[in-house]
Amino acid sequence: MIKNYFKIAWRNALRQKQFSILNIIGLSIGICTCFIIGLYVHSELTYDTFHEKGDRIYRINQPDIWGDWGEQVSSTGPNVAVALREDAPEFEEVTRLLNRGSQVLRVLDGTESNVYNEDFYYAAEDNFFDVFSFPWIKGNKATALSEPMSMILSEEKAKTYFGDQNPIGKTVEVKDWEGHWQTYTVKGIIENVPYKSHFQFDVLVSLSSFSEQMKRDGWKWIWTAFGTYGLVKEGTDITALTNKIQAIPPKWAPPTTERIFNQTFEEFTKGYSWKLELQPLREVYRSGAPNFHTFGPTGNPMYVKIFGAIGILVLVLSSINFMNLSTARSSKRAKEIGVRKVLGSQKTALIKQFILESTLFVFLGTLIALLLVQLFLGVFNTVANTKLELSSYLGNPLFLVIIGVFILVLGIVSGSYPAFYLSAFRPAETLKSKISSKFKGKGIRNALVIFQFTISIALVICTFFVQKQLKYASSLDIGFDRDHILQIHNIEQLGFDTESLKTKLQSNPAFDKVGKSFGLPPDIWSGDRYKNIGGNSDVVQLRNVRTEEDYLDLLGVEFIAGRNFDISARPNDKYKVVLNEEAVKALGWGTRDAYENESPVGKILALASGNEDEFEVIGVVKNFNFNSIRQEIGPLVIIHHQNDKVWDYGAGLSYYSMRLHSESFKNSADVQEIITSVQEEIAQIDPSFPFEYSFMDQDFENTFVAEQQMGLVLNIFTVMALIIACLGLFGLSAFTAEQRVKELGIRKVLGAKMSELVILFTSEFAKLIMISILIAIPIAYFLVDDWLTNFAYRTSIDLWVFVLAAFIALIISILTVSFQALKSALVNPIESLRTE
Amino acid sequence: MLLQLNNISKWVHSGGQKVYLLKDISFWVNEGDFISIMGPSGSGKSTLLHILGMIDDFNEGEYTFLDESVHNLKEKYRANLYKQYIGFVFQSYHLIDELTVKENLEMPLLYKKYSGSERKAMVADMLDRFNIVGKKDLFPTQLSGGQQQLVGIARALIASPKLILADEPTGNLNSKQGEEIMDIFTQLNKEGVTIIQVTHSEKNMAYGSRVINLLDGSIQ
Repeated sequence: MIKNYFKIAWRNALRQKQFSILNIIGLSIGICTCFIIGLYVHSELTYDTFHEKGDRIYRINQPDIWGDWGEQVSSTGPNVAVALREDAPEFEEVTRLLNRGSQVLRVLDGTESNVYNEDFYYAAEDNFFDVFSFPWIKGNKATALSEPMSMILSEEKAKTYFGDQNPIGKTVEVKDWEGHWQTYTVKGIIENVPYKSHFQFDVLVSLSSFSEQMKRDGWKWIWTAFGTYGLVKEGTDITALTNKIQAIPPKWAPPTTERIFNQTFEEFTKGYSWKLELQPLREVYRSGAPNFHTFGPTGNPMYVKIFGAIGILVLVLSSINFMNLSTARSSKRAKEIGVRKVLGSQKTALIKQFILESTLFVFLGTLIALLLVQLFLGVFNTVANTKLELSSYLGNPLFLVIIGVFILVLGIVSGSYPAFYLSAFRPAETLKSKISSKFKGKGIRNALVIFQFTISIALVICTFFVQKQLKYASSLDIGFDRDHILQIHNIEQLGFDTESLKTKLQSNPAFDKVGKSFGLPPDIWSGDRYKNIGGNSDVVQLRNVRTEEDYLDLLGVEFIAGRNFDISARPNDKYKVVLNEEAVKALGWGTRDAYENESPVGKILALASGNEDEFEVIGVVKNFNFNSIRQEIGPLVIIHHQNDKVWDYGAGLSYYSMRLHSESFKNSADVQEIITSVQEEIAQIDPSFPFEYSFMDQDFENTFVAEQQMGLVLNIFTVMALIIACLGLFGLSAFTAEQRVKELGIRKVLGAKMSELVILFTSEFAKLIMISILIAIPIAYFLVDDWLTNFAYRTSIDLWVFVLAAFIALIISILTVSFQALKSALVNPIESLRTE
Repeated sequence: MLLQLNNISKWVHSGGQKVYLLKDISFWVNEGDFISIMGPSGSGKSTLLHILGMIDDFNEGEYTFLDESVHNLKEKYRANLYKQYIGFVFQSYHLIDELTVKENLEMPLLYKKYSGSERKAMVADMLDRFNIVGKKDLFPTQLSGGQQQLVGIARALIASPKLILADEPTGNLNSKQGEEIMDIFTQLNKEGVTIIQVTHSEKNMAYGSRVINLLDGSIQ
């Protein structure tokens, strides 16, 4: 019997080639999309699962003590780990990780020395490998980090530095912040860190290498640069432990608040609780929160949800296609069903037969889909910046079982409606020599088409708005001209005084202006606590950046009160500050309208971080975006880079920025030449200088890289959904054409023009699309509106976008249908009427 | 007695009115009968045949087949009943186009509990009996109308039914093919198979032993 079913299914498929091909293509695209999304979602949800003790590892998060106390951040002070070790014996191990930022490394190779710039360079405690499991290649895991000046390299870096030589025991020099070379000894080699890890490092050094600094600052709770991780003992009650460790900050942090800020713990926390949170390791990546995690990639649960939903929707769309096409061609199968029934087939046997058929289709579709996945995964990986792969799954028996279940379930689900529909035919009706031309089940089929197009149109609208928002973001007026600004990084490597370099750069005719700064928009993150003097003296948190006057000139920010620094004429300007409007407001000196009555220029503010030096305001600049335009503009204090009264004088990363003369370049080769000339000039000063540059407009663009990727991926899936919906519509119109061939023939004999026939035929489908549009618009509006709340600056939700999307959907669907319409309108009526 | 109809009526509603397809039909059929149902188009011949074959319902009356009250049976039992005792032959043959001659013949057996070897033997027997062994691997569309109807009859007979219901079995055939088919029916009838045919043709009617004349749903 089964053999007979297979035979019938196979021969039917061959006989109705158009139907079969449409069905298989639709299914394959749907399944392929669903699989790719499935791989993506699976990958996103399984970060950090390779650690053997992973289910007992927790990251310690704490409030953002520098800003919003209500928000948790993932970095803590060094003393948190010390306190946990002392007060919470539930922890088997507590370990700290410190991101050292970009470092310059030197490796001697004979008499030559090679210089490398490493971005993924961390300091780790000696018990790091007792907590985390990274596969070890060489060296003694137990002792590798226990001594100062020890270094562990990834396989790849070891190969880069030492080639095929045994790296163990070799030395690597690292330039410290004072410019001295410190010598480290390689103690171990580990496999490259898997990409599915929330921390990514190439080089680890022992934290004890910085014992002096740790001794000096290890007690501080405000040096929030550490990642703190705890391995709890088996069977620990995490809720109880979390409750217990809340006692730690009030006990351990007061020395910090008292000695540094001269405030009690309660004064410092302003009534908030200094809440320590235990975040399970496997939640760290996938939850994408809290922020300020500085060790590697973070996930985005919103995208996992969005794409998961799209994957399921596309799959639903393609199974709807299957159902629609199967029931539409029922007239073709009616005779077979009638004969089978008369010959004694039970309804159940027919249902089984049709479900088996659909399962076969799904099976074939799945095989093709797997091939498509293999083919297109590379493209997807490039577009979405992922590292998905299929091959590792294919050998996994669990995956194969899942695929098997998937095929069965999809086969049964998408086969069930046609099966019940077809098997319910009454044989007496189907066997009357002519099959009833009454097209049964039309209502349901129309509803399914409407559903498909509603989803597709909603996706199209969302896609349009994502693109519109991205375009809006990149063309938004941010308060200064961000184009053509070349920025040279790592200037701190040249020491503090770089005037000679500046003179050289200024003499380069390619540059309009040159300026030094200790931070670059859109990445100005540092901030401090300030208060106004002579006012209410409330302590406020303000962002700050050190620059010289030329940099403000170069940006071209607008002064709305007072003036820029002018050191050459007034040397005392270095102890004065420039504020932005927001900072003026935050300090309680009013908005722009109030400046006429009482100018903020001449007012005094002071640091509220122990050191209470006072600074006079000499100017106010119009608000400009110094962070990603995802955020509102915050309050900003601009400090002169020579201000030696502020504690971070002379420290930190610095940059030279140059605005390119618009006539100095015509194409990218010219730009490259300019960059090379700068590189050569700096190399003359310091041959070991790690040359790095960027353009500010690109840096701003890059803050939207996740959205851009999401936009691209969304484009792809939207096109997929549209293709599937059109395939379905095409198939359905083909069958309608078949059904109506007689009607159209009669109309033609009675004198209908061809154009009238085409319109008659097409309008039936156009109606369905119109209904879909009406349903899709509010859904899309809701989704877009919700998504846009993620941005501080939002594009407007314009009506024309909806109209355009609706128009496009209508055109595409009419084109799809009109092929069939034309075909059936062109049929000679004698042909179509003869058979009756 | 093979079957008996008592006051069978079937109607449909059209424009709020009851339109009778069949009205008060009563007759009986003995085993070994060869009955012709005659009547003009729309007189209800095919409907009556479908009711006899239990593939269509009726609204009123009683139908007894081999002492079973068909009107009281559930669909499943009814299907079992006709599956076992009734074979159908159609005007337009109704062979399944996707199956070969051999497979078409085998199909009714698939719905009954026969083993593969039994089925093979029965199919071979039928092919032999109707002299179509050479055509066994052809598809219906590769056969002439007469040959297709031959296969249709063979398929109706394969499970050895007591009753053959034939709906204008020669309607699509030329006169020579038609005669051949009617000769086969005569032969079968002699072998003890009861036959009820619906026909337009006086000539075919003559093959039967009894005639039921229908006009507007009633027996004349």
